[in-house]
Formats: sequence, structure tokens, C-alpha cells
Amino acid sequence: MHETELNDLSDDADYAASLQQGSASMTRSDSSRRSSSSEPDGAEVVYLKDNVTIHPTQYASERISGRLKLIKQGASLFITWIPYKGQSSNAKLSERDKNLYTIRAVPFTEIRSIRRHTPTLGWQYIIVVLSSGLAFPPLYFYNGGVREFLATIKQHIFLVRSAEDANVFVVNDFQDPLQRTLSSLELPRAVPVANGRSSSLSASESPTDKNQVRADGVAVDGSLSSIQNNGRQRQKMHDPARDLSIHVLEKFSLVTRFARETTSQLFRENHSEGFGGNERRNHSQSSHDYHQNAASIDVEKVPDEVPVAPDPLEKSPCSNRGEEAATNVGTFELIDSKEIDKLTVWGKPRQPPLGPEEWATFLDSEGRVTDEKALRKRIFYGGVENNLRKEVWTFLLGYHAHDSTYAEREYLVLIKKSEYETIKNQWQSITQDQAKRFTKFRERRGLIEKDVVRTDRSLSFYEGDDNPNVNLLRDILLTYSFYNFDLGYCQGMSDLLSPILFIMKDESESFWCFVSLMERLGPNFNRDQNGMHSQLFALSKLVELLDVPLHNYFKQNDCLNYFFCFRWILIQFKREFEYERTLRLWEVLWTHHLSEHLHLYVCVAILKRYRRKIMGEQMDFDTLLKFINELSGQIDLDAILKDAEALCICAGEHGAASIPPGTPPSLPLDTGLLYAQQDDEVL
Amino acid sequence: MATIGHNNLNAKLVLLGDMGAGKSSLVLRFVKGQFLEFQESTIGAAFFSQTLAANDVTVKFEIWDTAGQERYHSLAPMYYRGAAAAIIVYDISNTDSFGRAKKWVQELQKQGNPNMVMALAGNKADLEDRRKVTAEEARVYAEENGLFFMETSAKTALNVNDIFHEIAKKLPRAQPAQNPAGMVLVDRPPEGSRATSCCS
Repeated sequence: MHETELNDLSDDADYAASLQQGSASMTRSDSSRRSSSSEPDGAEVVYLKDNVTIHPTQYASERISGRLKLIKQGASLFITWIPYKGQSSNAKLSERDKNLYTIRAVPFTEIRSIRRHTPTLGWQYIIVVLSSGLAFPPLYFYNGGVREFLATIKQHIFLVRSAEDANVFVVNDFQDPLQRTLSSLELPRAVPVANGRSSSLSASESPTDKNQVRADGVAVDGSLSSIQNNGRQRQKMHDPARDLSIHVLEKFSLVTRFARETTSQLFRENHSEGFGGNERRNHSQSSHDYHQNAASIDVEKVPDEVPVAPDPLEKSPCSNRGEEAATNVGTFELIDSKEIDKLTVWGKPRQPPLGPEEWATFLDSEGRVTDEKALRKRIFYGGVENNLRKEVWTFLLGYHAHDSTYAEREYLVLIKKSEYETIKNQWQSITQDQAKRFTKFRERRGLIEKDVVRTDRSLSFYEGDDNPNVNLLRDILLTYSFYNFDLGYCQGMSDLLSPILFIMKDESESFWCFVSLMERLGPNFNRDQNGMHSQLFALSKLVELLDVPLHNYFKQNDCLNYFFCFRWILIQFKREFEYERTLRLWEVLWTHHLSEHLHLYVCVAILKRYRRKIMGEQMDFDTLLKFINELSGQIDLDAILKDAEALCICAGEHGAASIPPGTPPSLPLDTGLLYAQQDDEVL
Repeated sequence: MATIGHNNLNAKLVLLGDMGAGKSSLVLRFVKGQFLEFQESTIGAAFFSQTLAANDVTVKFEIWDTAGQERYHSLAPMYYRGAAAAIIVYDISNTDSFGRAKKWVQELQKQGNPNMVMALAGNKADLEDRRKVTAEEARVYAEENGLFFMETSAKTALNVNDIFHEIAKKLPRAQPAQNPAGMVLVDRPPEGSRATSCCS
């Protein structure tokens, strides 16, 4: 139970100062409000900040800037972020990207928390987490103003700082931590995430929503929608749903004729009876009709008999024959349309794993990897032979630099071994008497001891009483919890360490490889579940991009939080495959060839394989979770990897743009404290 | 909530408790009659169902097994919301786990479903020689808090079926004609409040 004491902002010395700034921005925004003739009476812009920017890809050069506003109407506060028209830093960032991320009047009743990040270098940014558990991509304040933004919110609604993490501001009316937990965990209504279509759908939820949102009155929806529509018109009059569909169609059409036919069929269905039609109508109607129209969207359901449209990926794995066609997104095999029912060949055929002879060709005489990219690509398509893993994994994980020589690595190993011993000694030197007075240590050791004795014990490497490898697991995890004391130990870590120790055998080497892995996956275990939320959010966006009917199905069945994929992501599918297969999957994921986030495409690929079953059997959340858990051991890894590769290529930059910067396993954006729990003097 | 069909009752049940207390082992014993010495930890949550006959009614339990570590606490409400019954599990050889069980009881009491049937399970009863929590202490606590209490052992199967059976008997039965106040007979909240409900 979170025994959270919430810190009020008013205890902060800087708070008063920030109020000053807050009112300055109000004055400025007031004038801008009047200039906008379409702003309805009663809606007041209480905060306005220009040059608030998102980075849709991992490259800082790609950004979309816009205007962030807080709008007050009656007792309700809304947040909007509208990108500027035609000012992309990069021509590749199309209007579609802008639409994908636009925040159109999201009420604070739908927001759970705001996390503030203050990198030592670069701009301050915030991440807005919705009560559904999903989050918007980070909003970077190029002109500063985060403090002022938070102070303004504080003036209008109940905002408290989490005692657990001084950078998290909980937006809620509940003071009771339990109630807060409860309310923050409500599973999705249709989630209004950064997308033109779903944003309208969020409005469609209000008729059935008897909570605070509803209490504010229908007028809010109507009047605010005119703001939205106005903003949209100013950008460009077009239909985002249609755009997205066309975009995916374009991508798919590059793959195969078959795919093109299938997807166009899917989208035709989707447009004629689905959301697209409503959305178009909606644009041409006045704001008064908006609410009513939205209600009609809400009625839309998956038909009872569920005629599930076929999907190229859900069929059984298929022959590898066929010629190859070069397109501008890569090389694909052409498929004979007569074979439609049996076929799905997208990704390249898997190759045999990298063996010692071939490995030698990647190294120069002193042991440097001459072409890192080629090596990663090679491993992506075939993995590594088991006896070579001990050596190759150290590069994949980033423990050894690719340009290091044999001698340098040998030296590093020695240095690191002594460093490991030093850290290990920190807990080994704790006497029993000291431990009695050191609850945190005892608790931590207790957690680890409980878990290591039940980690992969059926494997001969870990089986039997007093198995020394089990003790090594314990020692390494306990040492890690001292190395990264802020993060500590968390269930799931033993699953991540087990294969590493199995391959590396050596204690210190395993430790440092684990450290490297945790540099990327550590956020999975954050107390506030941030790392998991951002990945689940990205997954929902990818499914929306790559399989609209499945996305709609999840939406209608309250499954958009994707918690049924929690285990997949938290421990990188460790429980889903046989041990050896997990090793293969991990080394493929670690190459980061095509994407750092291939694991999310693996999720999409698996879901697509079973989409017909999921939708056909009308699985609800419970059944779905049970079904997904029971897929363990049933998934054909090679086939899934091929699908994932194809999906990743199909999704292209739009897929990449669906994944917020800093989403694990990307390295954290902050260059400062990784797991900052320190007090913070700003607010 | 429990739902009633013709002599059939569907009941959502959630297992809560400290990590390593034996939640998954209890479920595995109840659902499959098995016991694993080294039952792996639960990541996220697991879902099972099992049917048993109690008196005149067949009860189908829809069982949510949750991750025990404090770090994952914030996910628990998603699983216990709307549950008709809860088994709060502790390990009789571990005092801390009993303390943690009490916290779960408090949380469920505050969460405010007065009809929820709550059972306290002192698991690992086979470890008598390592006992740290006396049955008496737990019984008193359970009585004071309106729970029923049993010591169980997933390993020896002691009281495992019994505790589920006892819960089944205690579940509120439907009396459609009278529709007693305070008793909710559907497993989903009415349509209008779905937005705030879990996806169960």
C-alpha cells in the first residue's frame, strides 16, 4: 500500500514567484483569447505557452512545435496542444504526424499525473499521464515555463506533489491515497491519446460518463469542440482518419499485392461502417451537433456475429518461395495471389546463427569489430551460436565497445572485476548486528532470496539443493541493488539476470552485462510504472496504426490499456518461450537493427497472429489475459520475428513516431539522475 | 460481483498478499491439484477459473492471481475491483507477511464493497517448526475484522478446497424477487458507470 503523504505546493518558496509569472501569462493569453472570435463565452485561456515541442522520433532534429494552453470553463480545466501550421523542422514530418499528437481539449478529470523532467542538458519537459494509464509523448518547453504551467494548474484544480517522487504531480480530487490509486487505475474509456480520431471518441464517451466530466455539462463538449475544429481548420482541412488509413494503405501496398488487397478491404469496411464516416460528417457539422453526433459514434460496436476480416499475418507460416521485389522500403517477396489463403511472407527468411568462423571475419587482427552495423544486422537475421554468445553478448549489451581490442577488453574485465568486488563488499561487510538495524537491507535481501530460489529451477544449470548458481543470482542481484540503490530489487529482475548468468557463467561479467541491460530496461521497474506505461502506450499506437479493426475491438472491450501484454514487455518475453528461444529473441532484440523497439512490433505480430481468435471469440479482458498467458510455449519465434520485421518496415517512420522518445529500451533522455528520488528545490 | 444464473453463480475472486506467501500455489492446487516446490513468481497477473458445487448451487470462480511485490501494488485495484471475494494470504513462517496481509484487509475494507467475502489464509501450515504467526493471533484478528480464517497448505492440500468451498457458501445468493437492498446482482456496473469500471 502506498502510504503516500502528499506534499502541497504551497510549502514551496518558489511557488509565490511562479504565481507571478502565471498571472503574467494569463494576461497575455487573455488578449489572444479575444482575438479568437470562435472562442465561446465562458471559456478562458488561463495559460498559454509557445514553442512547446514534441520529438516524434529519437532524433532531436525532428520536432513538432506548437502552442500549449490551459483552458478553463466553468469548474473544469482542459489542456490543449496544437502544433503550428507548416513549420516542421523536417519535411518528413507531415501533417499526419501533427494530427497524431495534437491534444484537443483533454479535461483534467482524465489526467492522472504530470511528471516533470529536468535534464541537466537540454529543455525541461513534462509527461502527461492519463487516468487510463496511457501517456502523451513528452512536451518540451523550449521557452521554459514548466513551473508556471504547474502553478497555473494548481490555481484551478487540486494538484499535489507525490511524496514518492518529487517530480510527479498528481492531478486528482482525492486526498486519500487509496482513493487516488483507485481512481487513477480506472481502465480506459476510449482513450483520448494524441490523435484526431481518438480525441473525438473521447468526447463520445461523455454521454455514458457519469463522473465529473459529465457534471460539467454538455455545453463544454460543444463549445470546446468549436475550438478544436477551429484549430484544425487553421491547420488544414482534412480527415485524419482517412489520412492515416491511406498512409497505412500506402505502406502496405509497397509490400505485396496481396497485402494491398487485404488492407484496402479492411479499410473499406472500416470507412463505410466505422469511425471514418462519422468523423467526416462531424467536421461539416456545427458544434451544436457535435455532441449528439459523438453519441452516435459511441453506439458503434463490433457486430455480434463478428465477421473478422482476414489479416495477412494471422495465417500459418508459409512458404518462402517467390521472387523478390525491391521497393523503397526494402526488399519483399512477391506473393502469388492465388495462394492468398496460405501465404504470408514478409520478413526475410531467418538465417543460421552466427558461428565462430564467420564471427572471426568481423574482427580485425587486434580484435576490434570492424563493421558494427553489419554485425548487428547479421545477428538480427540469425542470432548467435550458443558457444559464441558469451563473447558476442558483451558487445550487443554495450559492456564492451566494438572498437576495443582484445587487450583492452582483457584489461577492462580485470578493472571491472575489482570494481564489482568493491560494491559486493558493501553488503557483504554488513554484520548481523548492523543488519538488525537496517530494515531496508533485510527487506531487500529477503525479496531477492524469495525470488532466486524460484527462478528457472527446472533448468539443470539452476536445479537442485544448494545450487551455487542460485547463490550467484542472489549475490549479483543484491550487489546490483547496492549499485543502483534507488531502483533496488524488483520482481522480474531475476528473470532478466538468469539467462545472462547462464551464458556468461562468470559472476562479475554477468553483473556488468546485467548492469548494461538495466541501463535500458531499468525504467520497466520504476515505482510509478512510467517505463511500462510508455511502452504500453506505444504498443496501443502501433496496433492502431497497423491493425485498425483489432484496435477498435480492444477499444470497445475496455482493453486499450494493454495490460495483458504486461509480462511480455516487463521481462522481454522471458516467460513466453523455451529458454533457448528466449536467448535467441533477446540477442535479436539487442541488435537494435531496424528499431530499438522491435519488441513492440513482436507484440503486434503475436496479437495479429491470434487476432481472429481474439475477436471471433469475443474475448473480454479476463479471457484475453488468460489466453495471452497461456500462449506461453506456443509461439513460433522465427515466424513472429519475420512478421515483426515486416511490420516494423511497414510502419516506418510513422511507427517510430508512435513511440515517445525515451521509451525503454531507449536510453533515458535525461543525462542526469536516472532514478531521481531526491528532493527538488524548484517546486 | 457474483452473478446468478439458474443455480449457477459466477464469482470473481482475487488473491492478495505478500510475495512468496503462496498465492499462486494455492490457486494451482485448487485449480489443477498440483504443487510446485519452486512456483515461479507472478508477473503482472494471472487468471484462472474453477467450478465447484456448494449446497444447491454451482459456483464458477473467476480467479485473479496478482503479483505480490509492493512495487506492483498500484496495479492491484485493477484486479480486485468488482470482486465478490478475496483471499488474503500470508505465510505462517513470516511475520512480515502477516503484517502485509493486514494492510490488504484495511485496503479492501476502505475500498468499500461491504458484500465482499474476505478470507484470511495462513498458508504454509506444513512448516510448523518454522511457525512465526500463531493461529490464535490470526483468528482473533480475523474475527475482529469480519473475515473467516483458515490455515492452509498448498503443499499438502490442507484446507485448500475447503477455503474455496467456504467462500462459495458465504457468497450472497440472488433473491431476485426481493432484490435486497445493497446487493448488486450483476457483475458489471450499470452501463452508465462503465467508464469508471475495470475491464473485468
